[in-house]
Amino acid sequence: MRYFLPLFLVLTLTTVTMAGYRETFEQEFLSKPWAGGPIVEKSACIECHTSHIMKPAFRAIPDEWQGSWHALNDVSCHDCHGGDPKDPSMSMSHVRGFVGKPKYEGVPEYCGKCHIGIVKNYLESGHGKALKATKRGPNCVTCHGSHGIQRATIDIINEQLCTKCHSYERAKVMKQALFLTEKKMGEIEKDLKALKNEGIFIGDDEKTLFSTHAEFRALFHTVDVSMVKDRTDEVTKRLEGIEKNVQRTLTELKVRKNFSAFLTLIFSGLAVAVAMLSATYKE
Amino acid sequence: MGKKIRDWIELRIGLDELVRTQLREYRVPKNINIFYTLGFVAVVAYVIQALTGFFLLLYYIPQSEHAFRSVQDIMTKVPYGWLFRQMHVVGSNLMVIVLILHLLAVFFMGSYKKPRELTWMSGGVMIATVFLFCLSGFLLPWSQLGYWATTIVTSMPAAFPYVGDFVANILRGGDHVSGPTLNRFFALHVALLPPILVAVMGFHLFLIRRIGISSSPFGEAVEEAEPWVGYRHEQYNGQPFYPHFFLKEIFMCMVYLAVMFFFITFMPTFFAPEDANIQADPLRTPAYIRPEWYFLAPYQMLKLIPNKFLGISVQVIFVAVCLLWPFIDSKEKKNILRRPFLLSVILCCLAIWTVLTFWGRY
Amino acid sequence: MKRRRFLGIVLAVLGSTAAVSFAYPLLRFLAPPARDNKARNISIKKSDIRLGEAKEIVFNNKPVIVINRYEKGFVAFSKVCTHLGCLVVYDKGLRKLVCPCHAGTFDLEGNVLSGPPPRPLPVLPLKVEGDLVIIG
Repeated sequence: MRYFLPLFLVLTLTTVTMAGYRETFEQEFLSKPWAGGPIVEKSACIECHTSHIMKPAFRAIPDEWQGSWHALNDVSCHDCHGGDPKDPSMSMSHVRGFVGKPKYEGVPEYCGKCHIGIVKNYLESGHGKALKATKRGPNCVTCHGSHGIQRATIDIINEQLCTKCHSYERAKVMKQALFLTEKKMGEIEKDLKALKNEGIFIGDDEKTLFSTHAEFRALFHTVDVSMVKDRTDEVTKRLEGIEKNVQRTLTELKVRKNFSAFLTLIFSGLAVAVAMLSATYKE
Repeated sequence: MGKKIRDWIELRIGLDELVRTQLREYRVPKNINIFYTLGFVAVVAYVIQALTGFFLLLYYIPQSEHAFRSVQDIMTKVPYGWLFRQMHVVGSNLMVIVLILHLLAVFFMGSYKKPRELTWMSGGVMIATVFLFCLSGFLLPWSQLGYWATTIVTSMPAAFPYVGDFVANILRGGDHVSGPTLNRFFALHVALLPPILVAVMGFHLFLIRRIGISSSPFGEAVEEAEPWVGYRHEQYNGQPFYPHFFLKEIFMCMVYLAVMFFFITFMPTFFAPEDANIQADPLRTPAYIRPEWYFLAPYQMLKLIPNKFLGISVQVIFVAVCLLWPFIDSKEKKNILRRPFLLSVILCCLAIWTVLTFWGRY
Repeated sequence: MKRRRFLGIVLAVLGSTAAVSFAYPLLRFLAPPARDNKARNISIKKSDIRLGEAKEIVFNNKPVIVINRYEKGFVAFSKVCTHLGCLVVYDKGLRKLVCPCHAGTFDLEGNVLSGPPPRPLPVLPLKVEGDLVIIG
């Protein structure tokens, strides 16, 4: 028995290190990101744009995009610019739908390929009309950026940005009109997330919130304060419906907590009683 | 009336004699300590898992499109569904803790030595079965956490030569974790593993009663053991099993339940990080995938050892050594305090395991 | 002995409380789910929706769109886009349902044609009886 272990070790180690399946293993296991191996880039766009032969201005783009809200939601280069990300030779080919960089006044339609509702409202707005008439004025990139796009918040409306073209007064009025509703939506979102983390199903309310939020934000792009104010009531009513559900669930969670606290006490009491009973039997 | 019923049963089963010989006259060693109760607590923990698991079975849908939502419905819509689900989740983690403590207690008290090697090995088989339970159960809610942790674990067998890929494919029902994987793991978790565990548990308990409880090398009287030449059943002069020691076992069970409900009340999300509440998305790998805490140490070791193969082989060898330990450490002396070398080796192993676990967490 | 009896009683009381605290939830858990009071149907007159047109209604508190398709008859879809929940819009000219949030496009069978939606639009049960269209 004493020699069993060393013998076993020797035999296994030799067989293990000598066989030639390391390559297959490395391929299967090591290359996966979660095994600590290097992340294999499969996008031709990113490979070229991060290489050292690319001009510096373009080299910074993949990093900007990597930290963006688009990247988090699996929207990458070809989703906006077209082209084939898997085939370097066709990555910028018109045959595969490559459209390159949009002209300044063509940016709304560019983003509007996906963001249909927003573009419709924007083009009817003062901002949109100014852009089309003068080829100047704010387009999507002015406020949201191009590659490093973050999740929109109410603070995109700020003095620094809006005073590029006009006084901050009008923008302030709009921000005030939006403020309370946005705040309420933020709070509901946080509550829904807390409920979700307890395992509760909030799918329906989550969808209604998203839909309402998206509609409200699209409405903002008309930059028409009276329209926003008109619709605020309706939006608030919907939000209050969701809030009612959330409160109901929060109360239910409190009831659950009380019930399990009660059970904890019962079992602790039982433990004490059994311990005392056990002590009476000590010989 | 009560007496009539008792007499009826007495005639047919001879219950009085059973209770007298198996429970009251059955004596446990004088120096028995509280750690001896852990085995019983483990059995009770398993029964709780089996019962709550059965109740969950009534509402869970074992299909990839519906699994996640069915679990959410159990937590939201089904009356008191949350209670049984939380008991099952918290219970699975607590059960593993109890098993590890039981293993350590048996190890430190040398209870695995001759003639109890079979008991130790059947215990090893049981803890492996329980880990399989944990592994298969982890995938069932079909969350991001479960899906990706399973992806890692099922790709590990691919390391082995020749049979590696085949084994991995059989586990997964394909070349990546998918609907068929869920079906297989569900069948494993619900239909194959429970009878195996119960059968081995029965064997384990039979061995304990047949040979007698191993006396502790610590405490007051260390009963000098005569050498084992033929079969004999160890007899002791300590307290009766019932009600003295049995009450101690019930006490530990109450502590177990109190701890379980403490977690359910005050820390319900302790065992469920954010990714556990997002439905599995095969196309999106979360930033930090980690297996459950009891697998963190092996996982971290794999990440550390530069040759990944050596990583897996070292662990296989380690498991084999543990399983066959009674044959490796075959001297009859039980008291670990008188064996400083072994004591320091085991403490070192424990320290490494703890470090690796915490390291793997962050 | 007195102490043992007292503790025995305490144990019995606590034990039965614990047992009842599990028995009641278990019974509620096992009871069959409450059936929705017969989901009310909504009827619309066929003539209200001309060929190629659509009508938006609310059914069981959810937004629904009923379309009178060319050559394929009436159909009712949930308006909630399966991507993130925005309400889809019927495009008469293109004969498609388009979501204004991220341009998810569905055909008139509910299948996803393009965009991010992961699943088809849910179809609601619909019957045509006489000159009424009954949804639900």
